[in-house]
Amino acid sequence: MLQGALAGLAAGGLYAVLAVCLTLMSRLVRVVNFSQSATGMFGCYVAVWLSIHVGLPTWAATVVGIVLGTALSALLGWIISTWLAEADIGTRSAVTVAVLLLLISLSFILFGNKPQPFHPVLDGPAFTVGGVVVSQVTVVTVVLSVLIAVGCRTLLTKTSFGLELRALSERPTTAELLAIPAKPLAVAVWAVTGLLSTLVISIVAPSQSNDATSLAMLVVPASAAALLGGFRRLDLAVIGGLVLGMAQGAVAQVDSLSVVRYFLPFLVIVGLLLWSQRKEVWDVAR
Amino acid sequence: MSRGEAGPLTRFGIPLVVAGAAILVGYMLSVGLDGYFVYLGMSAIVAGIALLGLGVVTGSAGMVSLCQLTFAAVGAWVVSWLNRIEAPGGFLLWLLCGGVAAGLVGVLVGLPALRLRGINLAVVTLGLAAAADLTLVQIQFPGTVDGISVERPDAFSDDRNYFLLGIIVLTACCLLVHFLRRSRWGSGWQSVAFSERGTAAAGASVRTSKLSAFAVSAALGGVAGGLLTGQVGLAFPASFTAMQSLALYVLAVMSGVHLIDMAIFGAILWVAVPELLKRWGVPQDWGFVVFGLLGTHALVTGGNLGVAVRELVRKRSKTAAGVELTSAVDDVEVLPPGEPVLVVRDLSVSFGEVKALSHVDLEVPSNGVLGVIGPNGAGKSTLVDILTGFLPQATGSVELDGRSLNGQSPTKRARAGLRRTFQQDRVPSGLTVGSYVRFVARRRLTSAEIDEALEFFGCPPARTPLRSVDVGARRLVEVVGHLLAKPKVLLLDEPAAGLPHEEHVAFGARLRQVPARFGVSVLLIEHDLDLVRSVCDRITVLDFGQVLASGPQAEVLANPAVLKAYMGETEML
Amino acid sequence: MSGLRVQDVTVTRGAGPVIRDVAFTLEPGRITALVGPNGAGKTSLLESISGVVPAASGSVSIDGTDITKQSRVARAKLGLAHIEQGRAVFPGLTVVENLKLTARTWPRVEEVLALFPELEKRRNSPTALLSGGEQQMVVLARAFAARPRYLLIDEMSLGLAPVVFTRLLPMVTRFAEEGAAILLVEQFTHLALGVSQDALVVSSGRVTFQGTAKELLDAPETLHSAYLGE
Repeated sequence: MLQGALAGLAAGGLYAVLAVCLTLMSRLVRVVNFSQSATGMFGCYVAVWLSIHVGLPTWAATVVGIVLGTALSALLGWIISTWLAEADIGTRSAVTVAVLLLLISLSFILFGNKPQPFHPVLDGPAFTVGGVVVSQVTVVTVVLSVLIAVGCRTLLTKTSFGLELRALSERPTTAELLAIPAKPLAVAVWAVTGLLSTLVISIVAPSQSNDATSLAMLVVPASAAALLGGFRRLDLAVIGGLVLGMAQGAVAQVDSLSVVRYFLPFLVIVGLLLWSQRKEVWDVAR
Repeated sequence: MSRGEAGPLTRFGIPLVVAGAAILVGYMLSVGLDGYFVYLGMSAIVAGIALLGLGVVTGSAGMVSLCQLTFAAVGAWVVSWLNRIEAPGGFLLWLLCGGVAAGLVGVLVGLPALRLRGINLAVVTLGLAAAADLTLVQIQFPGTVDGISVERPDAFSDDRNYFLLGIIVLTACCLLVHFLRRSRWGSGWQSVAFSERGTAAAGASVRTSKLSAFAVSAALGGVAGGLLTGQVGLAFPASFTAMQSLALYVLAVMSGVHLIDMAIFGAILWVAVPELLKRWGVPQDWGFVVFGLLGTHALVTGGNLGVAVRELVRKRSKTAAGVELTSAVDDVEVLPPGEPVLVVRDLSVSFGEVKALSHVDLEVPSNGVLGVIGPNGAGKSTLVDILTGFLPQATGSVELDGRSLNGQSPTKRARAGLRRTFQQDRVPSGLTVGSYVRFVARRRLTSAEIDEALEFFGCPPARTPLRSVDVGARRLVEVVGHLLAKPKVLLLDEPAAGLPHEEHVAFGARLRQVPARFGVSVLLIEHDLDLVRSVCDRITVLDFGQVLASGPQAEVLANPAVLKAYMGETEML
Repeated sequence: MSGLRVQDVTVTRGAGPVIRDVAFTLEPGRITALVGPNGAGKTSLLESISGVVPAASGSVSIDGTDITKQSRVARAKLGLAHIEQGRAVFPGLTVVENLKLTARTWPRVEEVLALFPELEKRRNSPTALLSGGEQQMVVLARAFAARPRYLLIDEMSLGLAPVVFTRLLPMVTRFAEEGAAILLVEQFTHLALGVSQDALVVSSGRVTFQGTAKELLDAPETLHSAYLGE
């Protein structure tokens, strides 16, 4: 069990980072970004292609992939904040569903639907606990997820950039009346989350099932984790991601429970929704 | 031109005739088409049924469902299993069971996502689709491993006849959706997509409306899956992937499948785009790229093919229908106000530190009109929210006709006979005036009754689609609907706000007759003092959340304190 | 050409125009009271000036620059501030954070806080926890911190006790004395007219009176007919 749980921790760190991205997006730019991990997947696939077919060194290809993931996300953000500036969160999020489909099928065309021959960015064990080997990837992702959450929190609370973002998320019109530029800030948030997702997927993907659909569907466990924090709290999103990853890893040890493992994110989502809607809520305040 | 709605003959006759014609065309196709096209056509039929379902949940009820093919897989699984255990009844019964089973799964999945908004449903359904994807690959469908092929019914055993069966099932599903959309359920779906508050205020349950939409949608998905199993004999997980569910959703959004013809058209696209790409030697995956691009475009611009096509075909009248209040109305004898029918005692509510209302008492007399006036922010709309149950944290008592309403939900209060209208536009644009009025009234109405009431308030005729009615007139249609519900008391929150000022007096004259004509007592919130003067028997004045004055109209309006409050001359402390 | 000039502005909402062909000019150092009954279109007029809603026709210019087609942000950068109805604080931000948004520098934050001793005491509380009057004070202070040259104020008194409102009014006067042009929409008509030099009355979307505040105070029947009809 412990071995499984620790093995699942790398995936957990991945969920945690993606959950942080989802939370930031939902809080700051009013989107549940279903293409969050697909953007990262696409950037990584391009990196793999560059390193195999163009012969770029792994690190350089990875950097190009991350830049591409960032640019893709920023472009999508620009489209949404230009044409759907006043639209509700449902419509804005639905666009990302179409983009998810677009990215998965594009990657099928460009790279085929088999897992990619990733060159691991990180390799090898970091240390051993109680006879269980913990890989470098695990250590780096977990540390990264915590660092990213802490970093984002600091950015939001301590800098004037973060202050303006929080103001925009609370009352967009009032913020604009105070000369806070809504669109550039929103595009910046999209770009940053695109960067983070591509980065973390580049690190973890080589050691996971890394076909296009699996990577794109990482958004499901990530949203389960984000739901734990109500799409608002970064700390709970990280904890949710790590715990979910460990739970999945632990369950995977038992063959008879493998179906449970598949349904775990779904069950968590359902459970959290049931919990969060004990009280009656209306669609609009008035 | 007749003002009314179409008669029952047209309402039931035309769809049935169209259905008959569709089956006839289907028969000719099944005989005449090349074998390969029959196969393609069958795939389109399956997609068409799934898309019809998506039309109900995404188009009518405004929810995002990303697991339509998971419901199809449930249908396929049930059909395969019943076939494997050689259950009695044969394929058609199994198909029905598959649909029902998928509908039940839909209810189970939909239940947790209901109270929260569409986006949570999207998360839940994507989660289900992803999980089902992996699970199906592992457990496989019953009979697949042993190669036990699903038996088609004897009469439709070869591919051409099975295609005809598909056409019949598809036609039946279209008819079902058509009539459901015209029923109370269908109006509820439209209403809940537009506004949950508006739905509850019409005495309909928000939960039932959403759940029924989701269940119907899932059931149609199940039927599609079952039919597919009959087509190919053995069900394989590859037919039901999350990717395809996503593509189907995007296709649904871009073609506007809440319109039945567009669901059929979308189904043809579903099959034709990959097929054409194949013939041109382009990898079929480009099909989904095309859908993704078109879907993004449709979502960003807020249009879809269905609407675009309809606008091309039909010349849309440019001017929106408005209110015609010019004709004089017959006098009716205004009844003297009677005993209080709505009694409110000691109503208070705070939002954080702010006391929005404190210790408000008021009474609406039967057969009377009570005006509630006061400056902006005095708590008038808050009062209506509390009375109709939208602010359950409020304290105090509300009695309607001697029965306490405390602790009841907005839906319950509406059904008990306490109705309200909203300051905001809460009239769903997808319905016609007539079907909206029927939905809100919640009782059997003759067309004559509806026409008469609409005409009285100068509203557009019953057959007018609400999307071509201007905001002012929509709000009067809302008033008419609630009046025809024959509640004991109707609370009107600035009903004249969308009307040109010149129409206010004419509207007032009609409002004055409401108790006598409709047997409904009225509480009227209004800014226009001319209107208040012409309508209200009694007036209650709110200021800073408290009752400043209350009594007969003349007395209250002559009160200097009231004038000062109203004109902002309040004495400084 | 200094001043904020509104020329023949019409604003449409839903059914039809809520503001029709309204024209006036705000001059530096003067307060203009904009009064009229609820639903007269005052809020829509303010929103069309600051760019919250587009004007259907007509034009708005600041110091000769036409801003009718400019974004809200661009208008704000030209020195226009708009205090919206209903205590528009950012509830999750503290008092200081709210001020920092427009003040840009810490010394300016302190300078503004010094004008409002009540806020100084609660400088690090989230504004959601403040009383209504304190919240409105934050909004006012936030607008002042940006040093706008044109200030639109929409019903500052909404939901506030009169005694709190009278505490806020002198700040508006003070700001005008520093050279800002102010358009003051207010339901406490007499208080508003008391601090204003100019006055506008709108009723059913049209300007029915335009002149000095004193003229309006001396002609109560003008106000009465605007508010009470007949």
